[in-house]
Amino acid sequence: MGACLILAPVVIAAWPAFSAAVVAAASSLGYQVASEAAKSGHKAATGAPAVVNLEIPRSEVVTGKLGRDQRISVSREGITVVFSRDARGVASLCVTGQGHAEEELRALGEQLSQAVVQEYVHQKLKDEMRARGFVVVEEETTAERAIHMKVRHWEG
Amino acid sequence: MPQREFEITIGADGSVEVHVKGYKGKSCSEAVKLFEQIAGEIRSEQKTSEFYEPEEQVQFRIDQRH
Repeated sequence: MGACLILAPVVIAAWPAFSAAVVAAASSLGYQVASEAAKSGHKAATGAPAVVNLEIPRSEVVTGKLGRDQRISVSREGITVVFSRDARGVASLCVTGQGHAEEELRALGEQLSQAVVQEYVHQKLKDEMRARGFVVVEEETTAERAIHMKVRHWEG
Repeated sequence: MPQREFEITIGADGSVEVHVKGYKGKSCSEAVKLFEQIAGEIRSEQKTSEFYEPEEQVQFRIDQRH
């Protein structure tokens, strides 16, 4: 081999690509899409549920004027996660859940956030490699939820 | 036919590890740049022996006929 690289992912996505990654990642973790609409807002349940706000590091969600307030909401077992872009364009998520500790919500939010980044990077790498004439010859997801793939190109 | 290959592992946290195979010298650096453009910031890079091998060159021999 010629080199071995380790990269920290950067997410620069238009809203449709970002929301597609959210849906795929959320589904893989057992969440259901609650809503996807501009200015859908987030309704807090009664009894002041715990709320945790997180952001996806090194992310930028590119959007036009019309998509500025877009959000996507997913839920599972009383926990709701709302993804949106903040004023700086950074992808952020708000995790709420009645009867759940803040640490638990933070851990769930981070797990989902990482799954979204993984899904986004996976799709982008596949698309870019195919566009350059590479063929995916192997692909598998390990027990640790890592995605391993081998892409190949024959010269000449 | 020369074969070029990438072995890519995307961790559960989204981090990306790439093993570049079949690229030598300058072409390997270009492959590294490509991944930087697609996937993100390079945290570490380790060049292997293949990197230092000379790039393949095609030589033509022209025989003159009299």
